[in-house]
Amino acid sequence: MTDASKTSHGSLFKKELRAVGADHEQVSTFAAFRATLRRDLLIALKRRNDLLNPLMFFLIVVSLFPLGVSSDPQELTRIAAGAVWVSALLASMLSLDNLFRADYEDGSLEQLLLSSQPLYFMVLAKNISHWLISGLPVVLLAPLLAYMLYLPADAYWALVLTLLLGTPVLSLFGAIGVALTVGLGSRGLILAVIVLPLTVPVLIIGAKAVTDASLGLPLGMHFSLLGALLALSLSLAPLASAAALKISVN
Amino acid sequence: MRQLLLLLMSVSTHTSSDLSTPTQPAPLLRAQKLFCERDDRVLFTDLSFTLQAGDLMQVQGSNGSGKTTLLRILCGLNSSYEGELFWEGVPIDEDRESFLSSLLYLGHRVGVNKILTARENLRWSCALHGPVSDSDIDDALYNVGLAGYADISCRNMSAGQQQRVSLARLLLSPARLWVLDEPFTTLDVRGVKVLENLLAAHVARGGAVLVTTHHTLEVPCALRRLNLDR
Amino acid sequence: MWQWFFRLGSPKWFYEMSGKWLPWLFVLMTALLSVGIVWALLYVPQDYQQGDTIRIMYVHVPVASISLACFPLMAVAGVITLVWKMKLADMVAKCAAPIGAWFTAVALATGAIWGQPIWGTWWAWDARLTSMLIQFFLLIGVIALRSAIESTDAAAKACALLSIVGAINVPIIKYSVEWWNTLHQPASNFSMAEDSPFGPEIWVPLVIMIFAVYCFFVISLILSTRNEILERERRSQWVVDLIADESTK
Repeated sequence: MTDASKTSHGSLFKKELRAVGADHEQVSTFAAFRATLRRDLLIALKRRNDLLNPLMFFLIVVSLFPLGVSSDPQELTRIAAGAVWVSALLASMLSLDNLFRADYEDGSLEQLLLSSQPLYFMVLAKNISHWLISGLPVVLLAPLLAYMLYLPADAYWALVLTLLLGTPVLSLFGAIGVALTVGLGSRGLILAVIVLPLTVPVLIIGAKAVTDASLGLPLGMHFSLLGALLALSLSLAPLASAAALKISVN
Repeated sequence: MRQLLLLLMSVSTHTSSDLSTPTQPAPLLRAQKLFCERDDRVLFTDLSFTLQAGDLMQVQGSNGSGKTTLLRILCGLNSSYEGELFWEGVPIDEDRESFLSSLLYLGHRVGVNKILTARENLRWSCALHGPVSDSDIDDALYNVGLAGYADISCRNMSAGQQQRVSLARLLLSPARLWVLDEPFTTLDVRGVKVLENLLAAHVARGGAVLVTTHHTLEVPCALRRLNLDR
Repeated sequence: MWQWFFRLGSPKWFYEMSGKWLPWLFVLMTALLSVGIVWALLYVPQDYQQGDTIRIMYVHVPVASISLACFPLMAVAGVITLVWKMKLADMVAKCAAPIGAWFTAVALATGAIWGQPIWGTWWAWDARLTSMLIQFFLLIGVIALRSAIESTDAAAKACALLSIVGAINVPIIKYSVEWWNTLHQPASNFSMAEDSPFGPEIWVPLVIMIFAVYCFFVISLILSTRNEILERERRSQWVVDLIADESTK
């Protein structure tokens, strides 16, 4: 390198490099958490079409039940709780693909794994934003679909509440499966094969709570079980996802 | 058995390094007896080197010689290796957090989301390490030749421009160790010059750089080479 | 203790030792199996309700108990794989998954065969059968994940993690299924192992059969693990020597 380029060095950089290893402000975990959450929400908002897909899928699957079973209101009332819950489960499974895939492909995932912040919170932030954009709309649309399946009016609040407690658990469990399979070239249905059996308890408790609500039975037990599942998966699932991501980028 | 041997080895190396440290400051990064194989093929074995503050080291080797694998092992993205890694004399696994806060890694995949703008990308990746202001980002983008591109979606940029977005992180990060995997591939002549100057400036202020490239580096500072071909 | 633990982790050591254990295990299994089967099929008195059908229990219960033990086994192996990076643990886990899946399938099949005369149908959504079925799906998931990941090392870790997650989930699934089952339909008037008044003439052969089937499981696991060891260690000197020895014999 010549002297000329050396001297141009000063003018090349408008500002000097940041001081190395100087005691710069330590970025707080919360700030990193918020930045990750905001980034993922921003990406989702910029891809509005993708936002609609899980919702449309949910709508279509639910409307398959009357076509496949019967249009008889009484019969539909009996299966309404299960049908809505199964459809919500499948919709959340479908939307999982977005969770880490793009980040894996463009290298952002490596940056996330190399951040000095606890991975638990970073993965949790991604989980929360994913639920906000794919789980929450499903919860909000559910009463409409329940109406189309003649769910008794008494059970509406139970449906919304159980979905509100249950769909985050589905996202959290699903994230483990996505993290394990994100590096695979052809994933096909393996994600569903891995994740669906894990979600059985949520489905059982959620659908049963709605059925019991329509029969006027007490629901304290159902909600405490779902709450316990949510607490358990909130505390453990992001750790498992983080470990799985590390394995997948290896 | 190998596990046991490794365990014993790690204990013995540990004590010897403790004895030697008082005489001179520990190197920033020390790799000891690294061994890695992939698909039944040994990539490198018994690989030891140190990286001092102010070192610019170019990792060389033919395609498939394990350059990327070595860099990923050093960063902790790849854990299928045997051997020891020390950061400032401390085994990396013991204090990963302080190592990670001093590390900046740019991989093959540049870590730039195509849907977001350059500014949004940088804001996020910097938020993981240290807070930056918007004017810092503007300056950094100016310095890598992307003035005026801050609010353009990265989808509309060329590969070289996306690479430059990721290079802007070098200007925004306080990390001491830069680990760069083929950072020159998509850059034009001016971009190459900018990056070479960045490397030199970083080394001059006491940072350390590990870089893989097939490009012949022209830098006004000492260049160490690590060859993986045997 | 630790030395022993790490020596156990050496595939070579395991290969040599298991070679010595195998004949004894074969003898033990043959003895237990012949005594158990003859006793169960010929000498156990007929059940006052079920008649000869009760004899299916002597296959179903041991097989089912092993398929229940399979997930904890894989989870423990998974922890060892992740924490101590012991390759042998992963080999065992890899071999245990398909064997466990087979045992689960046999447990489901014998359950169905038993259910036919009792419930009048081949399949009922009985709590035990249902949770067994879900567990079968979980095992299939682990096997599918293993076959999908090409790198042995990554597959080992990923499956270890999934086994641990699965093992945490198994009891939750079991209890939620039981809870769902008992409240959904009237509890089945027959439950498989608890109701009958058990005398020693019934449970002693059952215990013998359980031990016999456990022996069978351990033998299958060891044989399969030995194959896995040879395949993964095929480039190491001791395997090369071993093969040379075998071919000169």
